[in-house]
Amino acid sequence: MMTSTNPFYKVEGLKMDDTNTDLKALKKELHTKRIRKGYMWAIFCAIGWALWYIAGTLLWTLDPFFGMYNDLAASDSSTVALILTAVLISGFTAITAIVALLVWNRTIGSHKEIKRSLSEFHPCSKWFLLASIFGGPIAIVGSFIAMGVIGPGFTAVAGLTYPIFGALLAWKWYGEKVSARALGGIMVIIVGGLTIFGGAAFGELAQAEGIPWLGIIGGLMGAIGFGTEGAIVGKGIDVTKPEVGLTIRYFFESSFWFILVIPLLALIGYPMFMYAFQIFDPLVIVILAATGFVAVANYSALYKSYPLVGVAKGQGVANVYGLLTVIFSFIFFGDMPQWTIIVGAVLCIGGSYIMFSEQSEDIESLRGGLK
Amino acid sequence: MKQRPIKFRILELYSDGVAHWNSEVVQQIQKEYDMSGDYYRDYINFDMIELVSGGMLTGTDEKIDKEGNYKKGTLLQKYMITDFGKIRASECCIRFL
Repeated sequence: MMTSTNPFYKVEGLKMDDTNTDLKALKKELHTKRIRKGYMWAIFCAIGWALWYIAGTLLWTLDPFFGMYNDLAASDSSTVALILTAVLISGFTAITAIVALLVWNRTIGSHKEIKRSLSEFHPCSKWFLLASIFGGPIAIVGSFIAMGVIGPGFTAVAGLTYPIFGALLAWKWYGEKVSARALGGIMVIIVGGLTIFGGAAFGELAQAEGIPWLGIIGGLMGAIGFGTEGAIVGKGIDVTKPEVGLTIRYFFESSFWFILVIPLLALIGYPMFMYAFQIFDPLVIVILAATGFVAVANYSALYKSYPLVGVAKGQGVANVYGLLTVIFSFIFFGDMPQWTIIVGAVLCIGGSYIMFSEQSEDIESLRGGLK
Repeated sequence: MKQRPIKFRILELYSDGVAHWNSEVVQQIQKEYDMSGDYYRDYINFDMIELVSGGMLTGTDEKIDKEGNYKKGTLLQKYMITDFGKIRASECCIRFL
């Protein structure tokens, strides 16, 4: 099944004619290809993430999730309904993500590496357990608290700031090099995201009574959760393959939802299992599978970008998803974007360009702060 | 012997502190893990690129594979473990002699 050309690991496979023997030129080309590939994966993640939002939004309109939200909103509050429905959706998408990842790892020949990496808990898989807690429960629950208490605009703004936390942690913790220029690019992309969603966020905050602390804490949980996940993953991927690490991360995330959170919620008295057993509708299964598969595509792309361009740049470029979400929402749902999207788009593209155009031949390694 | 993740093994092979050509290490891993073929050659080599990028290995020399003993026309790289690589390797329970 395996062919002699390997499209996923072709960075070193440079074609050259016999007359071109300039080592330096070849080395430079190799380096440029590595960086370009890293950015390509990050952009691929941005597109995938925006598509994920489309599939994810569809899920909320389908039963059992639609009914679950309405029932819980009537009996408890809309915030509780949002969080519990999000828990069930996250649990099921984690399962479909694992299925997609097992197929994917089998295809690229990494399936044996999963077992080898998973069994090395202390040096390897513990990082993915930690990453799954930050990127799963903390970030997801936090985001939905923010959405319920303040609103989706504020949540989007808070979420888009996550590369700040990722970059800061990767730099402080293991000395990832983040040039002033790259940091500038990340900031410009974030400002672009704020321009797109800022109006809605201010409107929501103005409507809130007093300071909605719970919502702000939720927003911070989202941003810090996703950013910290990236930095932790950077540490784990040091010693295993990105797609293998991702599989382990989803394995822990789904265990967390189904072994701990969902049974605990059921014990408290929420009818989680009643809704869980209602998913066997072909349409729901198809959309769940699509959500899981898209999550895998964008997450593995993001994880693959980390060793090539670093956590900071990978997350920074992937943040263009904010812009793409608005564009895809227009294409798929006909949601007319506001004029601010044009300013935001220019900033997002400009910020990415600032990073892409950086000369970095002298940087062989992404780490420099540690001895 | 229990097989460990490939990047562990690469770090272990470099933990003698001596510089080795990527081609030699890739071929040894291919043999140990029974991963023959050009696909896995590139697959394992990519792990080494990631280790270099992560600052655990560093290049000391390079040459072009003109004879095609490994992969004709590509850059062969000689790598050595860095101090940071030694720290990461020791965290992976690999002993330094």
